[in-house]
Amino acid sequence: MPENQYTDPFEDRFAAALRDTGHSFRTDDPAALAGRGEVRGRRKQLLRRTAVLGGMTGVALVGVGATLLLPADVHGPRRTSAAAGPAATASPSAASPSPAGTFTGDDMLRSLKELLPQGTFSEEQAQGTGSTTPPYARLVFDDGEGAAALGLSVDRTDPGGEQAGQWTTCPDKAVVAHDDCTSATQPDGSRLMLLRGYEYPDRRVDTRWWNAELVTPDGVHVTLSEWNAPAQKDAPVSRPQPPLSVEQLKEVVTADVWRRVAAAMPRSPKPSVTGEAPLEGRPSGAIAKTLMGLLPENLKVTGRSGPGGDYAYLVVDDGKGGSLVQINVQPGMSDVAGDLFRDAEKLADGTLVTTRKSPGEKAGKDVVMWTADTLRPDGLRVVVSAFNTPAQNEDATRDAPALTLAQLREIALSTVWDAGA
Amino acid sequence: MRQQRRADYTEFASARAGHLYRSACLLTAGDTHLAEDLVQETFGRLYVRWGRVSRAENPAAYAQTVLTRTFLAHRRLRSSRERATDTFPDLPGADGGDAPLRLTLMAALARLPVKDRAVVVLRYWEDRSVEQTADVLNVSSAAVRTRCVRALGRLRELLGEDLHEFSRP
Repeated sequence: MPENQYTDPFEDRFAAALRDTGHSFRTDDPAALAGRGEVRGRRKQLLRRTAVLGGMTGVALVGVGATLLLPADVHGPRRTSAAAGPAATASPSAASPSPAGTFTGDDMLRSLKELLPQGTFSEEQAQGTGSTTPPYARLVFDDGEGAAALGLSVDRTDPGGEQAGQWTTCPDKAVVAHDDCTSATQPDGSRLMLLRGYEYPDRRVDTRWWNAELVTPDGVHVTLSEWNAPAQKDAPVSRPQPPLSVEQLKEVVTADVWRRVAAAMPRSPKPSVTGEAPLEGRPSGAIAKTLMGLLPENLKVTGRSGPGGDYAYLVVDDGKGGSLVQINVQPGMSDVAGDLFRDAEKLADGTLVTTRKSPGEKAGKDVVMWTADTLRPDGLRVVVSAFNTPAQNEDATRDAPALTLAQLREIALSTVWDAGA
Repeated sequence: MRQQRRADYTEFASARAGHLYRSACLLTAGDTHLAEDLVQETFGRLYVRWGRVSRAENPAAYAQTVLTRTFLAHRRLRSSRERATDTFPDLPGADGGDAPLRLTLMAALARLPVKDRAVVVLRYWEDRSVEQTADVLNVSSAAVRTRCVRALGRLRELLGEDLHEFSRP
């Protein structure tokens, strides 16, 4: 029972009834739930380069997984702004300019089509190397035998890392149903996995999903998927098998052009190469990077959150010791206006702003948390907090955070967080 | 995933599946099909980030957080704004317990806005503090308190004497 200032008989009765009711739900087979979860996890890893599959699909039943797999569709055009803004490129460790020109979405499509057999193309979608998420091309290809969805994406990964190993290692048949799978080292040292599997692990629909994964010795990761249906899910099977044989899949993924695409990608950490992604919202690595670009010049960044994860943070030092700075950038938060911004200042453009000084929320002794919280009229919430300690759970190491409320407010209100800025 | 890590994941997931499923049933107000789906999705996410999960101070609480956020993300994708549902959930898969109480309670939970429901489940089923609940939901403590008071008020309206009738000493 949660702590109460007073005892409310109804609250007690309700809590007891809720516990009784909760305990009355029984799953027949917990191990099966765990196993099916593993299947999804395994597939998430296989599908991590994500963007390839977006738009073809309502991923993972009723769209539950869609925040991971459909960034462009879910978050709309503003999702790229966090890392693409000018502040990001101006910051010390931000993305360097592409060394080998850039590939547009059209370039990606053209490159893919050149590698495919004769046929017709439709439903083309692509993203070039200018985005914070990996470049991809996807389309529906018909060689005359039936329309088939097909998608390719390029990413960079640590070639010796665990993730690269997972991508190019054949999965256990118990985890990912498949007819056959080969995994081999190529003459140039690349690892290549070719898998002929099924879209639905339980084979409730016989949509076939064939997949090639290539990781080169210098960390270029190319992934190609094709189906024997014009969409990954929820489309009737259009042909007995996907159009490209495994040999053809291999030819496409090993083409030189994808290495040039990888070379054109900005060199910055990406959530897609870490095996972790934020639960929802923007990649926190990109947010941390943008935040770095907005800091006052006297601050040195001594720590930062990883490219994945739920929140972004930096540890900054003004010479007086580390100060944790946390940030959240959350679209679609209009519904909290009444709760969080009741007494907020309203700017001319309708943005709500509130600042506060409060005790730290965690265990650290004498920790204070200074916060600027903002809500744009379109529902984008940017909330920045600074602490007088480098870690929330540790005791205060300095009198005040390294950023003033005014500075926090300025950061939270920066137009860099907005769409198209 | 290396064999040991996979074994660790499997052991953890099998041990937590029952509890997460029950939590998911409450979050979904008795929609056991969606609950199963949410638990699988939660495990899928945990599997992907297992390295981090296994290092977490409290992996079980971490899993619960992922479940709650998965539920809210699901609802957010389904509908752009919060809306209580009047659809009565189907209730297969529940056995034992007090069937009329369950039905009454699930019907009442179904009528709460989803975030209020999440607050109620975290506070009264998971026994999370206001601050912990705020962390999970990524809102302020004040917002949690507001939602909690509002939800209890609504539940009192909906359940009233029924709950008293079913309550146990």
